[in-house]
Amino acid sequence: MRFDGYDTEGFYDEVFDPEGNPRPGADLLIQRVNDLPETELQRRQKAAERALLNLGITFNVYSNEDQTEKIFPFDIVPRIVQAKEWEVIEKGLKQRIKALNCFIDDVYNDQNILKDGIVPTELVLSADGFRKPCIGLKPPGGIWCHITGTDLVRGGDGEFYVLEDNLRCPSGVSYVLENRSLMKRTFPMVFDACSVQPVTDYPSRLLEMLQGLAPQGVRMPSVVVWTPGIYNSAYFEHSFLAQQMGVPLVEGGDLLVYNGEVMMRTTKGLEKVDVIYRRIDDDFMDPKTFRADSMLGVPGLMAAYSSGNVALANAPGTGVADDKAIYAYVPEIIRYYLKEEPIINNVPTYACWRDDDRQYVLENLDKLVVKAVNESGGYGMLVGPHSTAEEQAEFAKRIKANPRTYIAQPTLALSRVPVLVDDHFEGRHVDLRPYILYGKDSIYVLPGGLTRVALKKGSLVVNSSQGGGSKDTWVLNAEGGSSPESTMQNQEGL
Amino acid sequence: MKYNVTHITQYLYSEAVSLCRNEACLLPRETPTQRCLSSRLLVEPAPADLRERIDGFGNRLSHFAIQQPHNELKVTARSELIVTADPEPLASANQVAWESVRKQLTGARASNNLGALSFLYDSPLIGKSQQFSDYAGASFPPLRSLAEAVADLMQRIYHDFKYDPGFTTVATPLSEVMETRRGVCQDFAHLGVACLRSMGLAARYVSGYIETLPPAGQERLVGADASHAWFSVYAGEAGWIDFDPTNNQVPSEQHITVAWGRDFSDVSPLRGVAFGGGKHKVNVSVDVAREPDGLLQNQSQSQKQTN
Repeated sequence: MRFDGYDTEGFYDEVFDPEGNPRPGADLLIQRVNDLPETELQRRQKAAERALLNLGITFNVYSNEDQTEKIFPFDIVPRIVQAKEWEVIEKGLKQRIKALNCFIDDVYNDQNILKDGIVPTELVLSADGFRKPCIGLKPPGGIWCHITGTDLVRGGDGEFYVLEDNLRCPSGVSYVLENRSLMKRTFPMVFDACSVQPVTDYPSRLLEMLQGLAPQGVRMPSVVVWTPGIYNSAYFEHSFLAQQMGVPLVEGGDLLVYNGEVMMRTTKGLEKVDVIYRRIDDDFMDPKTFRADSMLGVPGLMAAYSSGNVALANAPGTGVADDKAIYAYVPEIIRYYLKEEPIINNVPTYACWRDDDRQYVLENLDKLVVKAVNESGGYGMLVGPHSTAEEQAEFAKRIKANPRTYIAQPTLALSRVPVLVDDHFEGRHVDLRPYILYGKDSIYVLPGGLTRVALKKGSLVVNSSQGGGSKDTWVLNAEGGSSPESTMQNQEGL
Repeated sequence: MKYNVTHITQYLYSEAVSLCRNEACLLPRETPTQRCLSSRLLVEPAPADLRERIDGFGNRLSHFAIQQPHNELKVTARSELIVTADPEPLASANQVAWESVRKQLTGARASNNLGALSFLYDSPLIGKSQQFSDYAGASFPPLRSLAEAVADLMQRIYHDFKYDPGFTTVATPLSEVMETRRGVCQDFAHLGVACLRSMGLAARYVSGYIETLPPAGQERLVGADASHAWFSVYAGEAGWIDFDPTNNQVPSEQHITVAWGRDFSDVSPLRGVAFGGGKHKVNVSVDVAREPDGLLQNQSQSQKQTN
C-alpha cells in the first residue's frame, strides 16, 4: 500500500506539501502506511467499518426513505494538525465564543450593540433564532452558549476560516471519541509514536462544566441529558454522552415541573433535576412558552428556568447568534465587545439584503455558494459551479422574493486529505468542527474535533446528513514524546 | 373615568385534569392615559405556584400551576382603573408625513427608535405581503400626514369589512379575512397591523376592553361585555397612537388597555397546558362597569356588539 501516484491536483493538501513531500508531523504516518503489506490497510478499514456497525455508531438521514440508520462512514487515514497551527485555532475559537456570548447576552438585555448600530436591528429582531421569551433572562455567569461546535475550513491559501457557528445543539462529538478509540485499535503503534493530544477526557470535562452550572447551594448537582427520542438523527450521540458521563438520559415525558422545580420520574418517585443538557430545539422545550403543539416538551420549564431553579445548556435563544445573516457581522461583534481583531477570519460573505451584494450574487450564481440563513445541515443551499441553470434560476427567484434569508460566499477550494478508495488513495475535501466548552471559570477547546470528509469525488458538501464521512483528527503535541492516551491494549502491532 | 373591570374565564372538564400550567395576560398595564389603582388575579382551585413577571414588552404576565386533580378551573381578574382622555390624540401626528416616520425606522438612525423596531417585522401571526400594501396603499398618498393616513385606513377597514362573529376563529389566517372581508375585532386589529407593517411602519396589537353603551331605555346587563382588540401605530416623537377599526374611532375614555404585543399570540389572555380533562367547555364573561362618582353616571349598558 503506497501513496505513490497520489495527486494533490493543485489543492491545499493536509498531508502533503505542493512538492509531494509529507508535511511536518505526517512523515511517520506516511512511512508506516507505505510499509504495510499489500491489502493490509483495506483489511483494517473493513475491520473498522464492522466495528462501527457492531457498536451501533449510526446516523439517521431524514430524507432517506427507508428510515434506517446508516453507519457514519469512516476513513482510516487520520488527519494531522500541527501544534503551532492548533495554538492559533484554539485562541481564535476562545475569542470568538467569548464575543458571541457577550452578543447574545446583550441582545436579550441592554441591546447596546443595536443602539450603537453595529448590527442592523432588523437582522436580529427578525432572526429565526431570536426568542422573544428570552428577553430579560440572566443565565448563570452571563453564559448562554456552553457547548459550541464551530465549523472551520482551510482555503487554498492554507489559512483557516470560520464557515459557521453552531450555537444551538451542535452534534458530532461522539464520533470524535469513537473514531479515536477505533484508531487506537487500528494503528496503535503509530498513534503512540505520534504524540497526539488527548480527546478521551471530553465526557468528564463536559460533566464538570455542566455540574458547575447548577443553581447556587446545590451540593450534589443532578445532571441529565435530554433527547427528543430515538427518531432524532443524533440519538446515538445523546445516549453515548449520557452513558459516558454516567447520568440519566431522559425524554420530555420523564420530566415535569412541580412547585416550580424540574423533577424526573424515577422508579423511586420524583427526583429533582438541577442541570439539563438539552439536545432538543428551543421551540420544542416548553409548549407553554414556545410551540404549543410540541409533544416533546415540558410545560413550565421556562418559568422554572427564569426563576433560576434549573440550568439549561445551552440556554434557549442562542440561535440568534448563529443565524447566517448575523455571521456576516461576527468580526464587528468581536471588535465591539473585546476591542480585539478577529484571530480566525470569516469566509467573505455577500449579504443579499444589501442591494450591491444582491446584484453581485444574482450575476454570479454560477460561481458562488448560496445558503439560506436559517437552514443547517447542508439543506437549502446552492453550490454554484455544480448546479444546473434551472437550479440557479430557482435560487434567483427565491433570493429576489426574500433577500433577508440568503447569503452567498465564494466557492472555496477546500483543503483535501487522502482517502482510501478501493486500492488506492484519492484526495477529498474536508472541514473541521472543534468543540468548545464554556464553563463558569474557563473555556476548553477539544484538541482536534470532527474532520468531515465529502466522500463523493469533487463534492464540497461535508455534512453527514448529505452523505459525508469522517476521520480521526490528530493534534500533535508541541514537544513530541508519546501520546498521553495510552494504547496498552495493542491488538495489531505496526 | 373610573372603571371596575371583571373578567372571568371558566373551564369545565368532563374528566379530571391532574396537572395544569397556565400563563395569564389579564392584569392591565399602566399607560400615559391609564392608571391601575388595583388589580388581582384569583385562581380556583388555589394554585400551587403563582408568580407574576413582566414580559419583553412590559406586559404583566401571571404564571400558575394547579397540581391537584380538578374538574373546573376558574380565573377571575378584577381591576380598578382610571382612564383619562387625551384631548387631542392626533395633534402631533398630524404634523408629520407618514414617509418621514417610515424613514426614521430604517437606516443608520433606526436604533434611536429601538422600542418600535420590534413591531416593524413579521410576527408569528402576521406576515407582510403585497396583498396588504396594495390594500393600504390607497390611504397613503405621498406626504399625507400620518394621522390622516392611518385614520383613513381605519375607516376603510370599518366600511369594507363586515363584523361577523362566528365566521372566524382564533386560527383563521389573515389572508382569508382579506378575501372574505369578514371577521371580528381581533382580525381587524391584525389586518391594520399587517397593512401598516407592509407600508414600512411599526404597528402593534393592543388587547383590552371597551365600555359598551346600551340603546336608550334598556338595562345594563352585568357580564355581557367582551374583551376587545385594536391596533396602535408608531408616530415617531409623538409616540404611539391607537386606532379602533371595529368601531371606526380613535380610542379615548372608553377603551381600557390590558397589554400589547406584536400580535395576539404575544398577549393571549389565558393559555397553557392541561393533562387529562377529556372534553372541555369554556365560559368567558367580561364586565366593564363605570364607577358611579356621585351623580347619575351609572348608565346601563348591555350590547355585545363591539368584539
